[in-house]
Amino acid sequence: MGKLTNRTRLVLAVSSVMFLAVLAISPFKDFRREWKQYKHSYLRFAQTRPDTKKLVADYRPDIDQIWLPGMNVVDRCTTCHYGITQASLADQSVPQPFRAHPPIPHNVRDWGCTICHRGQGPATEVAEAHKSTLAWEQPILPTRFIQASCGTCHYADLPQTPQLTRGRALLAGLNCQGCHRLPGVERPAMLAPDLTNVGTKVSREWIYKWLKEPRTIVDKDGNVTVNGYEAEDEPRMPKFRLTETELRGLSAYLSVQKAKAFVSYKLDARVVAAWTKNPELASQGELRFRQMFCSTCHSLAVTRAGETKLIGGDIGPELTKVGSKVNPDWLITWLRDPQGYLPHTRMPRYGWSDEDLFKVTRYIATKLTDPDLLTGVPQLGQPREDEIQLGRRLFLEKGCASCHVIEGLNPQKDFGPDLSAIGGKNTSELEFGASKIPHNLVSYIQAKLQDPASVNPAARMPQYNWNQPDLDAITTALLSMKGAPPTSALQNLVVPRKEVDFHPTGAFEEVYERYKCYSCHKFNGYGGDLAPDLTYEGSRAQRQWIVDFLKNPQTLRPTVVLRMPQFNMSGRDAATLADYMTMVLQHPAANPTAVDAKQFTLAMVALGKQLYEVKYQCQSCHTIGGTGGYVGPNLSNAGDWLTPAWIEAWLRNPQALVPDTIEPRRNFTADEVRALTAYLTTLRQSIKPQKTASTTAKHAATQGAGR
Amino acid sequence: MKFHVWFGALLLMTLAGAAACRKNAESAKADPLLSAYDTEADWNDAQHVVPLSFQQAQGKRIFYQQCVWCHADSTPAGPSNRSNLTPVPPLLNDRATLNAESDEYMQNIVALGGTAMGKSAMMPPYGRMLSAEEIRSVVAFTRAIAQPPYQPPARAESQYSAK
Ligand code: HEC
Repeated sequence: MGKLTNRTRLVLAVSSVMFLAVLAISPFKDFRREWKQYKHSYLRFAQTRPDTKKLVADYRPDIDQIWLPGMNVVDRCTTCHYGITQASLADQSVPQPFRAHPPIPHNVRDWGCTICHRGQGPATEVAEAHKSTLAWEQPILPTRFIQASCGTCHYADLPQTPQLTRGRALLAGLNCQGCHRLPGVERPAMLAPDLTNVGTKVSREWIYKWLKEPRTIVDKDGNVTVNGYEAEDEPRMPKFRLTETELRGLSAYLSVQKAKAFVSYKLDARVVAAWTKNPELASQGELRFRQMFCSTCHSLAVTRAGETKLIGGDIGPELTKVGSKVNPDWLITWLRDPQGYLPHTRMPRYGWSDEDLFKVTRYIATKLTDPDLLTGVPQLGQPREDEIQLGRRLFLEKGCASCHVIEGLNPQKDFGPDLSAIGGKNTSELEFGASKIPHNLVSYIQAKLQDPASVNPAARMPQYNWNQPDLDAITTALLSMKGAPPTSALQNLVVPRKEVDFHPTGAFEEVYERYKCYSCHKFNGYGGDLAPDLTYEGSRAQRQWIVDFLKNPQTLRPTVVLRMPQFNMSGRDAATLADYMTMVLQHPAANPTAVDAKQFTLAMVALGKQLYEVKYQCQSCHTIGGTGGYVGPNLSNAGDWLTPAWIEAWLRNPQALVPDTIEPRRNFTADEVRALTAYLTTLRQSIKPQKTASTTAKHAATQGAGR
Repeated sequence: MKFHVWFGALLLMTLAGAAACRKNAESAKADPLLSAYDTEADWNDAQHVVPLSFQQAQGKRIFYQQCVWCHADSTPAGPSNRSNLTPVPPLLNDRATLNAESDEYMQNIVALGGTAMGKSAMMPPYGRMLSAEEIRSVVAFTRAIAQPPYQPPARAESQYSAK
């Protein structure tokens, strides 16, 4: 063995050092692991807090994970988000990732994180856990769509998730279910008007114009206009991208839809001639239109102080220019019997006298008009056979038939893609085409909603415009639809939608159907929310009051627009409804025999008045006579309106009768309840009927006893 | 001499390598509106939108159901009941009045009503109707919409930031 030269020694020494250094990299790298840094950082952070002991009580230096085998959850997020359950770290000044989770109805330890936030539970690096879609498919869900996660299990609407509820309402309201399969969104009996006889109602020119520019438009900024007037309605008819030839074809095809021979309602010509001499005819018709409260469902443009606004409800279409739209013969027949033309329409069948019918029709046909309605529409002439054939083909191809029925025409089933699992789609399953949008699910959904052609130039989906809150709401609703839960443990978590239905029978059913009470009122969870819930009306209101009100639902507040329409109800109809309500629509907690109004003494009444006015100051919300607030119903006529049993039960616990009423539950003693009941039953008003059953607006409907 | 250079270079390289391994976790400040559970437009300035946490958002919902009638000048149903009341209740974003009150006082007056707190009986008690959590959330919402926001009197202000 020769002697090692110095040079060799040096080389050896260097390579040993290098070798050691390389060896050291790995423990060093391990030490420098991102999550370990956060763990150390947490310890140092805890030292700066007053409750250090508590904060580090369970501290362990390794990876922390929430493992929930039944739910497919392996979440290591708490490794870094270590303070997530420490109440004292809730403050905004606590730096992330240590801040406590804001209080929510679920315990983080029982649910893990990814069930709601998505992202990669098992990952231990910041970027992989939150963002990556390379090896993993689901990045973190941006917080502004977090309500989508509530909706994956809560099929029933939650009060805590207004954005999700709004999104679901939009999906149903915009008729998305016409073309797409959407879980939990039922197809109603009629999605859009049946067009079987549309040719008897409107002209070819009007159809052309409507197809080109539907009445309700949302502009690029999300502002809605109806017939050019600002409004808040959602357009149910979207805008299709149609060419001139297509417009001509479709209008030709639709204008020849006159399947059922149209029997117009003929009034006696001599009587009509006499009425026609009346110069006040149209203005009398207008008065009847107002008195019948058509505006509860239909809006009209009204100009006040130079400003034109739509006033009225949105259950039915806006009517400002309807006189220039429909054929007058059709109108009179429709008003008399709407279901004769559209079997599923929600328009009630009023009890018309011939004279009223004629006057109101005259008013609509002569005053609710716009001579310029069809300007810009070319003279289309008689539809040619080739145009009709083209229109028929387009009607099927464009998906019109998915929402509109034409008897004898069979639409394609499932016209658009099934969306029941859209919210759980992985990025690799989405077609981004040539678009430049970021490749993730949220961007895909929003791009598709804003411009369907952006991701697929051949898209048949019509164009919608959205304002940002609505776009986010509908995105949230779509993200919540993740298909059937993958594991049985998750399946058990699903909170189903409550099936609400109300199936009355007999004489009541006939009257109830004729007047479409459910368009505005709820019965046992079924129906609209424009007007008071009537599920327990029989317990609440006295029978005679109900009869009087139905026959003449006038109120003392003429400024209010949305009111119970004047149906011109016969005494028999009113009695049928009132009898059914008093017999069936009863609340179990309001026992009519529990309160004997005969036992009330004058002393009790006096005490009640004193409690009402001084101790509890009920006048802050309720009006009696001329004074008081109007958060709650006017009580001036409480003695003739409410049953003593209802008043008594209500005072004890309002929420037991109407769970979402805003009347606060008080701590009345039994004597106080009796005294207040005694006082309220003495309140009478000579002018009848009174204002209690009116509603000030949609939202007021849920307020309480009399609203 | 040469050895020192070699060794130094080696050490630097190792360190640099190790440092490069530690990816820079993005610490870009997220837009508070995008990460908010809900938002509320500032009552005095519609352009200014206030982000709300889950709890504050629940408070917002309860406020618009229960309190808006008396504590705001316009309501979902149109006119407000506020002017019918004596004393006229403070607007809920009235920081001059409400920021002076502690959370505890605020929770008490909502739960027990005006009478119990030596105030007017026109402020009803909500303690039997709203849960303690709901009352806390309404107060949290009050704090959120008071502009500029409420500062709790003695908050352990932490200057610490992670890493
Ligand atoms: C019927 C009307 C009414 C309703 C509804 C109402 N308040 Fe009040 N509130 C008042 C009145 C009046 C006062 C003033 C009492 C006083 O100054 O004597 C008041 C006072 C207050 C105060 C105390 C202000 C102070 O200066 O001390 C708070 C806090 C408050 N209300 C919160 C609420 C909340 C939260 C709700 C909803 C849960 C609510 N209020 C519902 C009428 C109402």
